[in-house]
Amino acid sequence: MHVALLRLALGLYCVGFAHSVLTALHKKQTLFKPALVAVSVGFVLHVTSIILRAMEVQYLPLTQRYEAFSFFGALVTLGFLIAYAKYRIAPLSVFVFPLIFIMTFVANLAYNPSSSIPQELRSRWLYIHTPLIFLGYAAFFIAFAAAIMYLIQENALKSKHSVRFYNWLPSLDICDDLSYRALAIGFPLITLGIITGALWAQAVWGVWARDAKVLFSFLTWLVYLLLIFYRLIAGWRGRKAAYLSIVGFIGVLVTLLGTNYFGGPHTFQ
Amino acid sequence: MQLALVGLSHKTAPVEIRERLAFNSEALKVALVSLIGKQQVTEAMILSTCNRVEVVAESPDDTLIREFLCDFHQIPAESVSKHLYSFRNADVIRHVFRVAASLDSMIIGEPQILGQVKEAYRIAADAGTVGMHLSALMDRAFVVAKKVRSETGISQSAVSISYAAVELARKIFGELNGKTVMIIGASKMGELAAKHLKRNGVSSVLVTNRTFERAVELARVFEGAAVPFEHFTDHMDRADIVISSTGAPHFIIGRTLAEQIIHRRKNKPMFFIDIAVPRDIDPSVNEIDNAFLYDIDDLQQVIDGNLKERLKEASRAEEIIDFEVQQFCRKMQSREVVPTIVAIRDSVEKVRRDEIERNRRHLKELSPEGQAAVDMITKAFANKILHTPIELLKQMASDPDGPETTDMIRKIFNIQPPE
Repeated sequence: MHVALLRLALGLYCVGFAHSVLTALHKKQTLFKPALVAVSVGFVLHVTSIILRAMEVQYLPLTQRYEAFSFFGALVTLGFLIAYAKYRIAPLSVFVFPLIFIMTFVANLAYNPSSSIPQELRSRWLYIHTPLIFLGYAAFFIAFAAAIMYLIQENALKSKHSVRFYNWLPSLDICDDLSYRALAIGFPLITLGIITGALWAQAVWGVWARDAKVLFSFLTWLVYLLLIFYRLIAGWRGRKAAYLSIVGFIGVLVTLLGTNYFGGPHTFQ
Repeated sequence: MQLALVGLSHKTAPVEIRERLAFNSEALKVALVSLIGKQQVTEAMILSTCNRVEVVAESPDDTLIREFLCDFHQIPAESVSKHLYSFRNADVIRHVFRVAASLDSMIIGEPQILGQVKEAYRIAADAGTVGMHLSALMDRAFVVAKKVRSETGISQSAVSISYAAVELARKIFGELNGKTVMIIGASKMGELAAKHLKRNGVSSVLVTNRTFERAVELARVFEGAAVPFEHFTDHMDRADIVISSTGAPHFIIGRTLAEQIIHRRKNKPMFFIDIAVPRDIDPSVNEIDNAFLYDIDDLQQVIDGNLKERLKEASRAEEIIDFEVQQFCRKMQSREVVPTIVAIRDSVEKVRRDEIERNRRHLKELSPEGQAAVDMITKAFANKILHTPIELLKQMASDPDGPETTDMIRKIFNIQPPE
């Protein structure tokens, strides 16, 4: 049942994806309203699917790759819906909808009917550590998308040559503000996530750096720390901050996807 | 309905000719009344702006209107005839729709023309020279203009320097509320740009000028503050937008100064608008992070791009107009065709009855069956003859050449056009 629901959600997210492609091609926001409705309905189905899965495994559904991607996709959708409800920045959807689609798509591909949970993941820490990290990553993705929008708009304004400005993009001020706010939300979450992870590892193995993922996420955390520092102390904003935000998110991607190949408890088999 | 339009515009005539044919508001009323006084003109309205002079009339004859234009202004016909265009019927409808929708304007999509057309219509209505036909046409034209405006982007992006400045400022700052603009030097264009920025939300204005009195004067206009020219740089960090238009022969804002100011502003973005020639601001200021510099050529480039965009949108607008012209023609013609058909049937029926009446004496000799047969035969005869012209009339309701054919059929049956 939860798989069928997730597939249904994926179909609806497809509309969002189509909206992004068309907007990029037309250079003006197309199909936004239908896409927003489709993604919102998809989100409801998606959350239902996650709840059903949780009831099936009697555990937080975050131990398999299928579950992890599905969960992350839902969080990004949630993040977007919150950002949209609060700031009405429709263009953010152009970047967010494809990610939601891809995450849900990968989740569908990775489905594995076995519902056995590895012994080492059976812990209360899972309920705290993993959602914190995922929420933080979702916030960082919003910051990343805002940074990309900033750079596109800034480049158009600086070069002056583009015949057509990106009228569907928000103003530089809004992009920068959104990027900063998402960072301000994501950073404490990730910090707490790393601390809880360390405590969990300490409790299980007595040491807290056992795999590549821990190392990479720590490096990524340092990048974001640097970004916060520069923004607060050196008054960085705009372009430089946007670049660093992008570097940080590449770190997130490497952490999330790349390190699956190194083994360890973070692989989400 | 028999529409005729004669006129000239910036596309067909230079200003020397246009100004000679223009009507001031006094002349308009006189002209309208004397037009209506002519035979064959039942309704009229005149649109006279700096870019066009056009007479729209309900009349079967446009040469009459041409003559009227020349006579009224006492200009020999030869000198203007090559600049004048005239349209009839469906072409009049199309032209009026295009003008009202600002597709025929010098700057496509400029919004003033619709107001001017409305004013011309009001004047004609006040003078009592508009009737059913012109009011139907103009009412539809206003609806079409609105539709074109809302469904296409022909009036969307900025096509003047001061609006381009506002548009760019919005891309940088979003809302302009709470922003500060500094005007350096007092030029007309600088003033205009500042005025537009103020109208779009900028809340405070700083003015500086070499002659301080002028700065004070301008500051009063904008309800802002005047700053002595000697130390305007001390105040510049308060400005989000700087408009510079001094007559200085060299840069008055160099890269180092701009860097210092951005630093003092803690990297908050700044928008420099340099509309002075020679330029006031070092072009390399644009390379500084969070500083955006546009000179007069850059702004012009933005405008050119926007104009191209409007042209693209204009072709979509033309499609809307095509559709609307067809719809309107159909509506108007069916409105005229139905009474014509009824009138033709009535008149033929009258002929038939009169003839039977006249021969009543002979018919009496026939048996009742015979009389009924005569009645039936004459009816069938009339209907068969009328079949082709009536079918043709019905077709004409949706044909651009409809009015001519309808008129011809009316003449054949000697029927007055419906009022």
